[in-house]
Amino acid sequence: MSLSTLTKDWEPMSYGFLDASAKREIRRKMLKAVAVPGCQMPYASREVPMARGWGTGGLQVSLTLINPKTTVKVIDQGADDSVNAASIRRFLSRVSGAPTTLDTLDADLIQSRHRIPEEKLREDQVLVLQVPNPEPLRPVQPNMSIARQMHADADYGRMWLQLYEQIVRSGRVMQGASYPSMVNGRHVMTPSPIPRWDVPKLHMAKHLTILSAGREKRIHAVPPYTRVEPLVFDDVPYKVEEHGDLTCFRSGAKGFFMNEIPQDDGSSTYEISDSEYGVKTIKQAEGTETAFGESWYQDGEMS
Amino acid sequence: MAYVATRGGERAIEQSERLFRSAMGEITEDRVAEIKKAMPYLIDRVMGEASLYDEDLAALALAQTGGELFEAVLVLRAWRTTQPRLHVAEPIGQDELFTHRRISAAFKDIPGGQVLGPTLDYSHRVLATEVLNGSTYAPEKVDAADKPSPAYQPSVAVWQAENDLLDLPERDETRPEDIPDVTREPLLFPSKRAHTLQSLARAETGGALALGYAAMRGYGQAHPTVNELRLAEAEITVTHPKGTQFSAGRVKVSQAEVVSKKGEKLELGFAATMGWNEVKCISAATLDLNSKGAEKGSATEEEFYLYHTEGVESSGFCIHFKLPHYVTFQSSLDAMRNAKAKKSPKPEPAE
Amino acid sequence: MTIAIEAPRLVKAAPLLTAQNVSKNYGDVQAVRNVSAEVFPGEVLGIVGESGSGKSTFLRMLNLEETPDAGTYTLDLPEVDGNLFELDRFARRMLCAKRIGIVYQNPHLGLLMKHSSSGNVAERLLVAGERRFSVLREKAQEALEASEFPIERLDAPPIELSGGMQQRVQLAKAIALEPALLLLDEPTTGLDVSVQALVLDTLKRLQQERKITMVIVSHDLGVIRTLADRVMVMRRGEVVEAGLADQIFQDPQHAYTQQLVHAKL
Repeated sequence: MSLSTLTKDWEPMSYGFLDASAKREIRRKMLKAVAVPGCQMPYASREVPMARGWGTGGLQVSLTLINPKTTVKVIDQGADDSVNAASIRRFLSRVSGAPTTLDTLDADLIQSRHRIPEEKLREDQVLVLQVPNPEPLRPVQPNMSIARQMHADADYGRMWLQLYEQIVRSGRVMQGASYPSMVNGRHVMTPSPIPRWDVPKLHMAKHLTILSAGREKRIHAVPPYTRVEPLVFDDVPYKVEEHGDLTCFRSGAKGFFMNEIPQDDGSSTYEISDSEYGVKTIKQAEGTETAFGESWYQDGEMS
Repeated sequence: MAYVATRGGERAIEQSERLFRSAMGEITEDRVAEIKKAMPYLIDRVMGEASLYDEDLAALALAQTGGELFEAVLVLRAWRTTQPRLHVAEPIGQDELFTHRRISAAFKDIPGGQVLGPTLDYSHRVLATEVLNGSTYAPEKVDAADKPSPAYQPSVAVWQAENDLLDLPERDETRPEDIPDVTREPLLFPSKRAHTLQSLARAETGGALALGYAAMRGYGQAHPTVNELRLAEAEITVTHPKGTQFSAGRVKVSQAEVVSKKGEKLELGFAATMGWNEVKCISAATLDLNSKGAEKGSATEEEFYLYHTEGVESSGFCIHFKLPHYVTFQSSLDAMRNAKAKKSPKPEPAE
Repeated sequence: MTIAIEAPRLVKAAPLLTAQNVSKNYGDVQAVRNVSAEVFPGEVLGIVGESGSGKSTFLRMLNLEETPDAGTYTLDLPEVDGNLFELDRFARRMLCAKRIGIVYQNPHLGLLMKHSSSGNVAERLLVAGERRFSVLREKAQEALEASEFPIERLDAPPIELSGGMQQRVQLAKAIALEPALLLLDEPTTGLDVSVQALVLDTLKRLQQERKITMVIVSHDLGVIRTLADRVMVMRRGEVVEAGLADQIFQDPQHAYTQQLVHAKL
């Protein structure tokens, strides 16, 4: 018996990059986050070989959940081919051997920055959202220890006041993305900077969503079939972006969230933000048989 | 297919990295060794901020990143975090530090004496341009003192405590392996003392200086006097599973104690880091000195300075603004246009 | 020191507010020493004393912002019982948010200076759970009107308003939920004399119309005389004299009170 027979061979890095103790901590914090929907759980947040603010929180969760059979999709602003999405996808696959996909329907694990795909996610899928700032109270209370206490007390008066002020000043709620939302009737969370268009997709969704902020070291979660209600006054309805009538100039897809592309003549044209949905629409139009999942929005209306 | 036009992402990022690396050229063991030899203070700074003491790895990180400091520290931290923690060394007292330089601004002379050691403090900062004309800059010979100063020195603060000038912090008897480790657990506030000192030890030098300097200029309540500054080597004493204690070598450390008068006593601020980095230690100790009772949101409040001197986080967040943000931008644009439309008077349909 | 207070003339019901033997030290300074007080529903208690007498500290304790070192505090309200000083942070916050209104001398303590005035009032309704924008607006407007705030400046931020107007916004915020208890900490100090009189008029009218139970703290005997039914005189943390307002002003017993009253007259 020698040391070498008792131990594993030296390897330059652990499977899935993170070592077992880091993964164990993240698993525990994810369980806690699922147990108290919308409540931010602090975690150590290890450094990973990517800069902070570039999806390191989402990456740590993905690295913890991944195994060689997990099919992974990575998107940034809706697009699979965005430079950072490509970089994260390559890294995930390199350190885990997991297969990758662009098709939402084929993915087991979707890591995303700022979008939820347009096709409905299923119970067997997990969505990991990258979160730059996990604290919805930051605009009204930059101090994290005070904000933590406010969550404990469900002290959200200032949050509501902010909405009141916006309506008084601008005639409407001016929050763009990251629309603060009440989870399970208890914790206000930021859904990460997804557009307002995507927030209703989280409400009573079939899939699990894990939101992870690497730089700020917080994980929160929306478990399947959980209420997610944007903060709105009873008599001022929630409004998603007015994209329901727009048509993608590339694919002809209509009724989804779009990227606006300014034109030389001063006008704008639009392309669908969920790039793979656009690709599938084109394929179908070209006569290739293409499988589409049911979409959350139909004819530009949330179904 | 219409979408192919947008699919240049993967190739582009690959090539941009190649472009950066090809400008660096080949990285060899020799280059790494040369960096290590030529720039010990840079190596020290990087090791301190990375909280990883390994001169070779630090030199490699610098070589690999072309001296982009934030990147070098990140590479080291990402490597460090996956390494197993084999052992926790024994705590070490100030009087056990093998001291190269030790000065106090509080007293003209102190027990053990002032030891200037190696420093550029009193040098004339003149660029040695002759080197570029082919001459070699040869350092002058050091004349050793007749009587070498003692390698181990007592602590100034201990003398002050004995003379009832200050109260030393209560001795923390936590066993070494139970000391909270900020790299393995989240930093929460009010922060644990160990987390505060560890975070300061890892702080980005420029950030610690900026906030520390703000406090020194008057945005803090306490004006620091450097009670004791040390550049030293610390013995790493570890315990064999069979119980034998032995030295695993020495590491360079620096530490600063600053004091300020509060009532009839002196108040103490402390910081230490791996490697020799005087500016960071004095700045960080000044922040520590000012942090008690600091107003929420002020530069000397613990939460404020610990978050904002974390170099990997701050630099990462800063450069992340280069990432596309068109979804968030689109979302804001929609709200702006809609609000504007509401304000512009539209002709009301006739009833 | 115990001081007998005669039964109030206004009401015979049980006191709304009872504070007993309240003491608070800051280091070596005894800010409040063994102070007791009762306030009956619909009554105004005035606390007078020079700065440093402990009167504002006592008021802040009644607003549950400070916890004393000793003493008890009860309010005769259906939703609370027992010593309020023992409530946890959350229960304190909810009680203050819903049942206790306060107007500070310094409007920065009571208002968000850059939010709209109506928003400052609405915040109180929001904390109490109101979620209809139209109702928030309506009720904020009502409270501001009742406080004689110029309604065309409804959405102006307090920072752009005069001192007197800022106090009216604080007042509107304090009465928006029809509080069981209204605390006033030097509400007119620092205002011009003419403005002071107008704000006092508003307070007096509101008190008469709505029968709000109030505790008002001031160093200014004139202010206390205008509003208070009963008066407590404090000096160096202690109550030196207490009684009906008329009695205190016409026939002060304690030397310090006599000095105060005569200095004023």
